[in-house]
Amino acid sequence: MIIARRTLFLFILLALAACTKNTDGPTDNWTYLPVPYTLDYPDEFPIMSLQQTNPMTVQGVNLGRRLYYDPLLHPQGLHACATCHIQDVAFTSSGEVLPHINLGWNSSFLWNGKIEGSMEDIMLFEVEDFFQSDMTRLEADSLYPRLFYEAFGTRTITSTYTARALAQFFRTMISSNARYDKVFTPGSGEFPTEEEQNGYDIFFTEKGDCFHCHGGILFTDNGFHNNGLDTQPSPLGRSQVTGNPNDLGKFKTPTLRNIALTGPYMHDGRYETLEEVIDFYSEGVKTSPTIDPLMKQAHQGGIHLTAKEKSDLLAFLHTLTDTTFTHNPALSSPF
Amino acid sequence: MKNYTLPSLILLALSILLFTRCTKDDGSGTVTIQLDHTVAGTALDLEQIKYASAAGHTYSVVNLKYYISEIRLTDKNGFIVSRGNINLYDIQDPSSSRIELTNIPDGDYTQLSFVFGLNEIINVDGGLPNTVDNINMEWPIPGDQGYHYMKFEGRYDSLNTGTLRSYNIHTGATKGNQNYLEISLPINALALRDNDWTINLQMDLNEWLQNPTIFDFVGQEMIMMNQAAQEIIKANGSTVFSIASVEKT
Repeated sequence: MIIARRTLFLFILLALAACTKNTDGPTDNWTYLPVPYTLDYPDEFPIMSLQQTNPMTVQGVNLGRRLYYDPLLHPQGLHACATCHIQDVAFTSSGEVLPHINLGWNSSFLWNGKIEGSMEDIMLFEVEDFFQSDMTRLEADSLYPRLFYEAFGTRTITSTYTARALAQFFRTMISSNARYDKVFTPGSGEFPTEEEQNGYDIFFTEKGDCFHCHGGILFTDNGFHNNGLDTQPSPLGRSQVTGNPNDLGKFKTPTLRNIALTGPYMHDGRYETLEEVIDFYSEGVKTSPTIDPLMKQAHQGGIHLTAKEKSDLLAFLHTLTDTTFTHNPALSSPF
Repeated sequence: MKNYTLPSLILLALSILLFTRCTKDDGSGTVTIQLDHTVAGTALDLEQIKYASAAGHTYSVVNLKYYISEIRLTDKNGFIVSRGNINLYDIQDPSSSRIELTNIPDGDYTQLSFVFGLNEIINVDGGLPNTVDNINMEWPIPGDQGYHYMKFEGRYDSLNTGTLRSYNIHTGATKGNQNYLEISLPINALALRDNDWTINLQMDLNEWLQNPTIFDFVGQEMIMMNQAAQEIIKANGSTVFSIASVEKT
């Protein structure tokens, strides 16, 4: 599938390369023949919701990929999405940058869930409000008018179409091939190490109780929680959106897929390493009026793991690293 | 006009009447189950530490989700209308409080029955469609199968000492015990005659914590692998539900 897609992509690139030689020719030879794009993910994953107004096409995905890596989206051309969302580290970078992993299954976005709705909605926010992209820069480009025409049949480039192309590419940013997906799937013929299995048992029981927020095949509940970082819960999270004091200190649950790659951790990047994160959940949890009831051991500072249990849990978390995702050529820079 | 005889006109009029009656009256209606939640008889107020548990703690309710399945209506002759739908109630989603049972045949219904949770056929890994909501209800404890039947979560002021703690009453199948509940409630005067009805079904959350056994949060803040606690909650479940009213809609 990946090879087929890659071949198709190369073919399109070649076709485009051939076309760029004729940019001063008439636009009549542009073709709008969108090829349907089928998303590829395991049956265990939920069905990803798509937008009828934005059907997935090979041309749309490829355009979105190009836009993701192109600083032209920035009004002064200073940076692209990919400047802060680096594939080697599962499309994140230092600080509070949320990774771009399996976001096609999300319905609320950013740490505080400020944008709710479809992938198209969050991408429109990114284009219009975050980047404040200048569409005339795309229209003046030698290549984009043709790419937009081939993807959407439009001769006018708008932020809506730009958002749609990005949304299509984001839906393909799927991580489903970690060691976890093999060794913890019966019948795969591969097995976890003793440490990984011990870590799994901590993770998926009330011993560690990680799974209530970070569970399921997506390793997130797509919810908002106060996980006990501070005695005075932060006003910068969900409460900023809802205005509800019961939401103080609540932030979006990030997926734990590729978690070993996506540090530093927490909404403010306060922990550099996974070891520090485990220490926090073990002994550093602080109680507050809005702490999530799932943090049942907050009153005693956390879940109190032994050194061995901590290293087992760490070994389990490392099974969520998916190097086929971080090396997927279909998600890499087209430049 | 002169070509039509009187009998043929009467026949025509009769058949029109009959036809009209047939299309209007299909002998069935919709019964809506409207879920409502109280604590010791008063309307549930989320996030407020103000309810008194029989074990002596003041507590709040922060989160509530549960499955109701295998809904059945029984008429006065013992005829059972079964709707196998699986309904996930989520207190954060008000629309989930309405369960519509369509095409219920005319009849005098005297009993509402349902499974609180999921039966053993459905309650296996992957037994429900892979929606994000169902995945969030998974019960991944190694050695067990299926889904949470209920997530009932909140905080409590331990023996009113000012020390806030959390409790999670999470029910499901553990260690080979299915733990789902069969609920049957008598209905008064639901005479379905080609019309729609609403049954207001009330869950009193305080009853999970008493009758017949007092449930103490202390030491039982988490009970997913605690079959003794699961059994207490299951037994207390027999007084949790009541039918507040039945009305024609």
